[in-house]
Amino acid sequence: MTHITYAQAINRALAEEMERDENVILYGQDVAHWGGIFKVTNGLMNRFGEERVFDSPISENVMVGAGVGAAIMGLRPVVELQFADFLITAADEVLFKAGMWRFMHGGAFKVPLVVRLPSGSTGAGPEHSTCPEAYVMHSPGLLCAVPSTPADAKALLKQAIRNDNPVMYFEHRMLYQQRGPVGDADDVLPFGKARICREGRSLTIVAWQFMLSRVLEAAETLAAEGIDVEVIDPRTLSPFDWETVLASVRKTGGCLVVEEGYRSLGVGAEIGAMICEHAFAYLERPFRRLAIPDVPIPSAPALVDYVIPSVAKILQEVREVMKG
Amino acid sequence: MLSCPLVEVYRLSLLSRRFEERVARLALEGFLPPMLHPGAGHEVSQIAALAALRPLDPVIYSHRGLAYMVARGVSLQAILCDIAGRVGGTNNGKGGIMHVVDPSRGIYGESGTLGGGLVVATGMGMALQKKKSDALVVHFFGDGGSNRGPFHESLNWAAVQKLPVIFVCENNGWAVSVPASRSTAVEDISLRAIGYGIPGHIVQGDDPEQVFATFAQAADRARAGQGPSLIEIKAVRLLGHYSTDPQDYRSDVASASEKDPLPKLADMLLAQGLADTAALSAMEQEIERQIADAVAQARQAPLIDAREAMTDLFA
Repeated sequence: MTHITYAQAINRALAEEMERDENVILYGQDVAHWGGIFKVTNGLMNRFGEERVFDSPISENVMVGAGVGAAIMGLRPVVELQFADFLITAADEVLFKAGMWRFMHGGAFKVPLVVRLPSGSTGAGPEHSTCPEAYVMHSPGLLCAVPSTPADAKALLKQAIRNDNPVMYFEHRMLYQQRGPVGDADDVLPFGKARICREGRSLTIVAWQFMLSRVLEAAETLAAEGIDVEVIDPRTLSPFDWETVLASVRKTGGCLVVEEGYRSLGVGAEIGAMICEHAFAYLERPFRRLAIPDVPIPSAPALVDYVIPSVAKILQEVREVMKG
Repeated sequence: MLSCPLVEVYRLSLLSRRFEERVARLALEGFLPPMLHPGAGHEVSQIAALAALRPLDPVIYSHRGLAYMVARGVSLQAILCDIAGRVGGTNNGKGGIMHVVDPSRGIYGESGTLGGGLVVATGMGMALQKKKSDALVVHFFGDGGSNRGPFHESLNWAAVQKLPVIFVCENNGWAVSVPASRSTAVEDISLRAIGYGIPGHIVQGDDPEQVFATFAQAADRARAGQGPSLIEIKAVRLLGHYSTDPQDYRSDVASASEKDPLPKLADMLLAQGLADTAALSAMEQEIERQIADAVAQARQAPLIDAREAMTDLFA
């Protein structure tokens, strides 16, 4: 057991999987010689050579599309898209090619592709700040991982690389320098298994990645006020562990989703709809969402802080919903 | 160098033409949906191109026509079942005519969105290179698709990595209803190869020997690790964008039919003494029989169970 950062955990997962399977290749803008714009892939080119770790031109369509082509021919490409926002730049390739090439050809192919998507705002402006997981959840054929801790980042990435399906792997930039315990063993987490980070009886809160850390901070303050929240990290959004979330809502009688995506038709909207369909009778208070209001995420820190759910806003939201 | 097997190119072209005509009639009769993008006019060059490659070199094909599949020996019955949504097709009712697939014959499918095939083919070439295979990928697309961004990204990527891919632009001058004069600033798509530092070739769609020789040359280059080529086939679109297209936007339909490469190839076979009229007539009869058998079998195939819609998504 060592304490390493989330970024180091991702690097270690990549190195271990490349060591294990020669079909794993890694490419993207700046990932090879420079070690990645966020330094996540540092040292991998030197270790595995330019045949397997290489820099790409600024060409998101072919980066992802070539990943699909290479995957159907037996490689296991890991593509870094530098900013998760660029998922939309390569939308045809992500949503249609990666998501559908197998299906529309009647199951003739497997598409073991991983697209790494650094997400979240660091004040880089509206097109370099988003958490576009909802697009992935809305698109059949794609898996979606959202690791929140270094241990999960490593274990979920190893699973993503070994999985025979396309995985959109979100890595939150605000978590890159967070440290946590990571086992030395070859841990692999299954997809679709949520983690109950904190048990409670007052209210279920679903959150992941950067929002999860804020929710857990808020939970301490709330506990002192006698509000005992249960916090669930879904770990993967597709597949989603509905069983764990619905069981929690049946126990607590309420649910709040805190997310860093846009509010309308976001991940929280789907969670709310599922709760209405499957646990409505258990609701003692209205389902609530705290998300980015439907505006682009701006650049100036004060504006960013205003639109991204803060600990103070989470506290306010929970207190309101508990008043009924 | 091997020479082009002209009689076989003619036979497969004729088979594709007659089969496609039959598919269009079956659509009018209601047995199939009218989803066909007819390849009439393109067959000779498509088949001559594939004849210059190895039988298992992977193909990502384009919307226009059935000759790619016919050339690789995919069963006509399976193609009909794909179109008709019946059991016995290649994609279990998921992709219909657009996504006929048979990796065991090097048929790797098609992108529904134009340009989507370019990027996938490029990645397939990347895999062949990394696996040190001496196979190559051939990808057919239209002049319309060559105006999309993925064309640029794919050719640049394949060129810089020296990937074994032959990019084939079948230029028939039409993107659905829009003529090249209104959509494309250059006359020859092959000129664009210069911008990627790769060879660009023009071949005439009614000259199978030229097509064969040019593809053989591009294949040698790809297998030698020298990278991709762009080949532009000057093709003629004899029919509409889809099988029931009234083509009321078009004034060149009559003159187009005069450029049909198929009768020209038949004349060439006769003139060169490669076949006589009796042989061509026997060939025609055999093709009619082959198609009739496939149609009869497809008619007897049961419809696909609707629950198939829920399968084949994840591996």
